[in-house]
Amino acid sequence: MKLLSASPLKYTLVGIILVVTVFACSKSVENPTKNNTNETDRKALLSNLSDQIILPAYTDFKIQFDDMLAKADAFTLNPNTTNLIAFRASWRVAYINWQKVEMFDFGPAQTYAIRAHFNIYPTNVSTIENNIASGNTNLEVPASYAAQGFPAIDYLINGIGVNDTEIVAAYTTATDAAKKINYLKRITNQMSNVFNQVLTAWKGDFATTFKSKTAIDAGSSTSTLINGYILNFERYIRAGKIGIPAGSMTPGNKFPEKVEALYTKDLALTLAKTAQTASYDFFLGKSYQNQTIGYSIKSYLDALNVKDATSGKLLSEIITQQFEVINAKLNGLQNNLYSEVNNNNSKMIDTYNEMQKLVRLLKVDMTSAMSITITYTDNDGD
Amino acid sequence: MLFLSLARFWANGWIEELYIKPKYFFGFYGFEYIKPLGNYTYIIFMVCAVAAILVAIGLWYRAAIFALFLSFTYIELMDKSTYLNHYYFTSLVLFLLMFLPAHRYFSVDAYRNKSLNVEFIPQWNLDVIKFLVLILYLYAGLAKLNSDWLLNALPLKIWLPARNDMPMIGWLFNYKVTAYIFVWIGCIYDLSIGFLLWNRRTRLISYLSVIIFHFLTAILFPIGMFPYIMMVTALIFFSAQFHQNIINLLNRWLKLPAEFVQNQQTFRYTPFGLKFRIAVLSIFFFFQMIIPFRYMLYPQELFWAEEGYRFSWRVMLMEKAGYAQFTVKGENGKAIVVNNRDFLTVLQEKMMSTQPDFILQYAHLLRDYYHENGYPNPQVFADVYVSLNGRLGQTFVNPQIDLAKEKESFTPKNWILPLNDEIKGF
Repeated sequence: MKLLSASPLKYTLVGIILVVTVFACSKSVENPTKNNTNETDRKALLSNLSDQIILPAYTDFKIQFDDMLAKADAFTLNPNTTNLIAFRASWRVAYINWQKVEMFDFGPAQTYAIRAHFNIYPTNVSTIENNIASGNTNLEVPASYAAQGFPAIDYLINGIGVNDTEIVAAYTTATDAAKKINYLKRITNQMSNVFNQVLTAWKGDFATTFKSKTAIDAGSSTSTLINGYILNFERYIRAGKIGIPAGSMTPGNKFPEKVEALYTKDLALTLAKTAQTASYDFFLGKSYQNQTIGYSIKSYLDALNVKDATSGKLLSEIITQQFEVINAKLNGLQNNLYSEVNNNNSKMIDTYNEMQKLVRLLKVDMTSAMSITITYTDNDGD
Repeated sequence: MLFLSLARFWANGWIEELYIKPKYFFGFYGFEYIKPLGNYTYIIFMVCAVAAILVAIGLWYRAAIFALFLSFTYIELMDKSTYLNHYYFTSLVLFLLMFLPAHRYFSVDAYRNKSLNVEFIPQWNLDVIKFLVLILYLYAGLAKLNSDWLLNALPLKIWLPARNDMPMIGWLFNYKVTAYIFVWIGCIYDLSIGFLLWNRRTRLISYLSVIIFHFLTAILFPIGMFPYIMMVTALIFFSAQFHQNIINLLNRWLKLPAEFVQNQQTFRYTPFGLKFRIAVLSIFFFFQMIIPFRYMLYPQELFWAEEGYRFSWRVMLMEKAGYAQFTVKGENGKAIVVNNRDFLTVLQEKMMSTQPDFILQYAHLLRDYYHENGYPNPQVFADVYVSLNGRLGQTFVNPQIDLAKEKESFTPKNWILPLNDEIKGF
């Protein structure tokens, strides 16, 4: 096997070493902070996302959420029509704002399973009734998830009677009125506890840890953040809000009763739009407070110069455009998604299909370009 | 004129894998009957571990190497989601060792039965293993001679910036030129290192470069044992004297008689044994040399369709990601979009969504499952979206084709849609 004699090989090797050395030296004189290098600094990215978006969003949500808790207390203390209307209005505002924090599905939110306690729908009425009757069911177990949170409250203050008089009667004159009041208190307390744990963690050590884990392997901040973000879009916006009710997962069968906020007929589209906009703004790195653009997933992709090889178009532009296409589709829908599924389902399917295209861009093209591994298996909602 | 003293460096390290949790497994074409055996899978691992230790110390060598080869290969064949080139390499080396007298010197067998003990074995016994290593590096180098690797520095251009937070050298990875230097060095290294190791005069310096190169890849990329296996394997290129020194040291440490390691006996095969080995090894190496080139028989882009990709020493060549959704339609009009997590693990889903043979196997699995569960004689359609080496993703599988009716074979899969690009080179 002595095909080659030693000396040319030696020179090749020396050559390689020389190249490395020259490279190492030439590198050290270049200025490492110039132009695009900053933009791939993940510490800056993580800092902007947590300081300008995640923490302000949680802090802002706390205000609306606390208001809802106060109105809930007022109603349970004194169940009358005025208090019911005030509770309902506040619940509505809090539910809309919840859509802006649901996508932070990693770290404390994941540890304390906040979504499970806040927004699992369709809510399970028979489980709610059983829980009301028993009075002390464990709310921490998965079997109870679909009987609490915003969707359960939706049923309890909108769906339990045909009009306000009937609903108030359920908490005043009905035989199990006290038990229902007790259950309302229990689920609002549960939400309050879980949320405070998440917020406390973020305001404590977590933000620092989060910013310091700058690697990109599974378990790093960037990876868990992106995984949670895409999971939220794929499973809870695309499938949960649009695809499942429209029957995209079950061709030939649609499920209008699976829309979000089923008992408040005109709210589902607003929730979907709010969640969609929040995802879009997060991608752009828009500050929660003043809308200025900072380090973002978009600027990170641009710094990596991720382009479609054939058209030369930036991936971030393609993604941005797709967000806009979806916005347009959502704008073409009526507020009441329950009736849209029944009467106008092709528009729902259209919207779903455009969202599906965005999932592909985010889950395949974006993660691949960023070297992030998808670590969740939730392919579709159920 | 050299000694075979290497097998003992092998043992240990491959017992940790889990083959019990997943519900379904992807067998290799032609070997689908090889499946994990539930909890008995642990027994295979135990057999493998015990055999590995026996081979290492050289006790009951012939039986042990046979058991080791079979058990290790069985484990490898259970689920191709875990296929790695270095498992394949290990299997091949074990196969070679079955035909070599690795127990004839400095082993328990030789200690117990003095007539087995020999100091010298024919040179070719070592050369066959060196030759296999040479093939591995050379073919890995040839595989890098393509436009994505050399001209576009892909996929390293994608992977390196992800490591830019590393201490000391991290900032280098923000520069494209770093990726280009890495790919060119990597290519030249792979093409030449086998020859450099073989040559006595360049051996030491090339071995140092083996250490540096593999150490660098080990800290940069999640490729497991491979760098370490290669670092150890490359030791076989060192001279007899080098290994003799180690053995003398061990011998003194174990307080064994000096005659044990110096008996001047030379190992000879019987004429038939020699002919038999020459025949087996010739066939073996013939296939080793042509198998990596089988991709040329397939019309589609190799990296895209992956027809003829495995068993070819192609490592670190692709950043590929995919997203696959399956729709199952029963005869009775019932239809469902499958939730992959009901059937597959994260790793399996990741592998399945970019590789056609997995996609087809999975489609058949779905066909059989849904046939039994309310969707009689179903059609299975796949919507698969794949991105390769930074290209924007595109549809991978013809969504009109009913995969339930397609069969696995070595013929080209015409339901794979072509890549809208060309990768030039090997």
